[in-house]
Amino acid sequence: MGLLNVFQRISQSPTNPHPAAAPRTFDVADLYRGPVSTQDGTPDAGAPPLDEKLRQAYFWIVNTAIISPHYDVEYNDGPPQSFVLGDSKSRLTLPSAQSYSSFVLLPMLTFATRRKYLFIGGPGRGKTASAILMGVLGGYSVREVRRAMQHGHPQMTIADLLGNPLPADLVNAQRIEDIRISWRQWLSMRVKIIDEYNRIPTRTQSALLTVMGDNYAEILNHIYECPESAWFLTANDDQGGGTYQVIEALRDRIDVVVQALAFNPRFLSDLLTRIEENIRPDEVVPRQIVFTESEVDRMQEEIRAVAIPGEVRRRLEFFASQFEFCEVAADQFEYKTKDTARLAGVEWHLLAAQETGRDRLKDIGCQTKNGLSVRVLMTLLIYSKALAYFRGNRIVELEDVRQILPFVLHDKLSPDSEAPFFDAPGNAVFRADRIGWLRKVLDLSCADYDRVNLDRDDPVAELATEFRRGLDGLSENETRARLVRIERLITEWSKGRKLYGHIYDDVLKLKYLHQRYTNYLRWLKTQ
Amino acid sequence: MVSTALASILRSGRADFNARFVAARRIHPELEPGAFTGFLGTAVDDLAQAVEKVRADRLGEVTMAAYDAALELVGQKLAGPGARMKAIEEGWCRILPKAASLVAMAPGRLIPAVCNAVHQLASTPGARPAHWIETMEELAPQCADADAFLKLGQVAAWRAGLAHLRSGAIAAADALPEPMALAAFGAKSGSSWAGVRERLLANPWFDPASEPKPSSTLRVVTQAGSFKGFGGLFIEPPLVVSSGEHFLVRSESECWLLTADVFGATFHRASIKEFETAKGDHRFPSGLQVKGSRVVFNGNSFEFPALGEFTSAAVNATTLALSSRLTHTIVLAALR
Repeated sequence: MGLLNVFQRISQSPTNPHPAAAPRTFDVADLYRGPVSTQDGTPDAGAPPLDEKLRQAYFWIVNTAIISPHYDVEYNDGPPQSFVLGDSKSRLTLPSAQSYSSFVLLPMLTFATRRKYLFIGGPGRGKTASAILMGVLGGYSVREVRRAMQHGHPQMTIADLLGNPLPADLVNAQRIEDIRISWRQWLSMRVKIIDEYNRIPTRTQSALLTVMGDNYAEILNHIYECPESAWFLTANDDQGGGTYQVIEALRDRIDVVVQALAFNPRFLSDLLTRIEENIRPDEVVPRQIVFTESEVDRMQEEIRAVAIPGEVRRRLEFFASQFEFCEVAADQFEYKTKDTARLAGVEWHLLAAQETGRDRLKDIGCQTKNGLSVRVLMTLLIYSKALAYFRGNRIVELEDVRQILPFVLHDKLSPDSEAPFFDAPGNAVFRADRIGWLRKVLDLSCADYDRVNLDRDDPVAELATEFRRGLDGLSENETRARLVRIERLITEWSKGRKLYGHIYDDVLKLKYLHQRYTNYLRWLKTQ
Repeated sequence: MVSTALASILRSGRADFNARFVAARRIHPELEPGAFTGFLGTAVDDLAQAVEKVRADRLGEVTMAAYDAALELVGQKLAGPGARMKAIEEGWCRILPKAASLVAMAPGRLIPAVCNAVHQLASTPGARPAHWIETMEELAPQCADADAFLKLGQVAAWRAGLAHLRSGAIAAADALPEPMALAAFGAKSGSSWAGVRERLLANPWFDPASEPKPSSTLRVVTQAGSFKGFGGLFIEPPLVVSSGEHFLVRSESECWLLTADVFGATFHRASIKEFETAKGDHRFPSGLQVKGSRVVFNGNSFEFPALGEFTSAAVNATTLALSSRLTHTIVLAALR
């Protein structure tokens, strides 16, 4: 066993033990598994399942490669122990189940789902090192990863980023199609790293946007189709500042944002060991946790197959419906959204000041300046599945959504720091703590959901289920009856009920159903 | 003082061996040089000398594998002076030198296998590591190759009390030469493996080494589990339900799967949900009744006055399991 072996030890399986469900079979080969490692170099018959391998990779990174002793993604089996410290009553929780460091977990999930991840934090906090590790996990050598990494700088041109036409072709070609392009090697990689993306000039950012958003690069009408990849970008801040302002469309393409937390000096001895032994973690990644391309493909399929149960989905729907609605933004019902006001250039404070009769402290929608896009919702669903998969589950729990949501919505949901919520006692801290605020908002939304008793009493869901059964064979009478039911429900709601975000979306859904039945009735009359 | 053979190997790879020791100490800070040297000079040296006699050309490989295994064992205080588990060193010293030619073929597989097998047996309540060591010491030298050695070990482990390995061990025995398979079970002379196998599969209370007992009566074959204060699992007297060919046992808010046969009984963590689900499936075959402290089986009545009134009873095709308020064990009775 060499010194290398110290850094190449991977966690024993299972890394997240669950009590097995009976009936149970026992593997007689387990007799020979124990405290002494097998040394014949032959791989274990039966490689671990991919979620287990992903967890092994996570634990190797967090125990050996990156010193990140933070467990900010907290799970609990039973009630956790909680302590209050300091004059400001800071709460410390000791989770009672396996918990994780977001700084390592989120890159792993991004790697598994081939999405786009932004590391933010001050210099020297391990952002680039973490990104390089992801590249090595993807099967590339450290050298390949380092050379393919794109470093943002103010003089970066599109040619630097994407490639150059061959000079000889430029001179000799009679048609543009005859010019061959020497594409940059990094475009073909399954793990792409952009270091300090906020130092890239705006024009070059546009070229990057095409690659990130549409997965192709273009030079002189020549197209290079890039393979689906996991993207890791770094920046010193997420406000879009830096040498150049990051274009909004590029920022919007990023799926999750995670902050590098401060180094805990109590772990200085680990740094000292690295210096003394001259070991670089990215050079000693155990081969057992390196993924092949087909393994990542398979992992994506398995993640997509993770189920989101109806009760979790409904809570997410309810949460998402809180934010877009803006009653005073328009006269036409469908345009009563914050996006309408933003596109019209209306000052936010003018909108916020208008009285709508709603409780601005309790109305969750009043806390934000925007709503959630389709892209964000899809990202949230995928990462929720990925987190459940990582934990060894095949069904998403509400807690998975609760833990992942702040990182997905980190820079997607803009808080209105002037909202009454932030002035309430104990809430001022959420002006700075984006993660804490987003979790709080979800908790408030779920509490509202329970208060309204939507699990048991959701007439819109019943009508939607009825509609999903299809229109085939539906009689004229029954169609009229359904139309009347919709109209009665809207009439009931119109009697003195305040119009909150979720009601707004429900009403639009009812209008949709009403329109579908109306069209069907018209068709029936022509038969 | 180590033998010349081992000394030569250690000397030639001195820098590497020293580096391995340093690296192991980072993982196991309690690894003591003195304890390690002691283990090297006894257990590892004995093995080296045995290998040198039969396969001197493989001595280097064997020494490397033995050295690394020794680092892990001594570092975890599983061997050497002050070891919390003496059986592993005993297994090493008694089995490996005697199987030197096999060890020489696959040292990286067999040395860890022996250590881990003994560790597992010594860690399982009710298992008999001494029995396993004795069987392997006797029969392992007759194995043709490393695979046969490992399969023999699996059979021997089942016989030494790891009841949950039953079906895997029978499959392993299928792959052994018939005389070795029969010897591993201590089968009577004149037996055939096919016949023994059939009876093993049909009846978990069949012991090939004993005379077959009459099968029409109820006989108590074992009592599994004990009070937590005496080193067992149960805080309060447990309840039992059947779960396929095994049983689920619950004590307070904890639950285990019980596997049991003539060679032993083992417990494995299970969930309360499994117990509650299995509880509903409560059917006794005709001819078997359980009431109070009495069992009626095939027309015969059996009293268990020491148990008092039964708190639960469960049955599968071959076994009746009983629990009572007066004991922390599960009483198992063979129905065949």
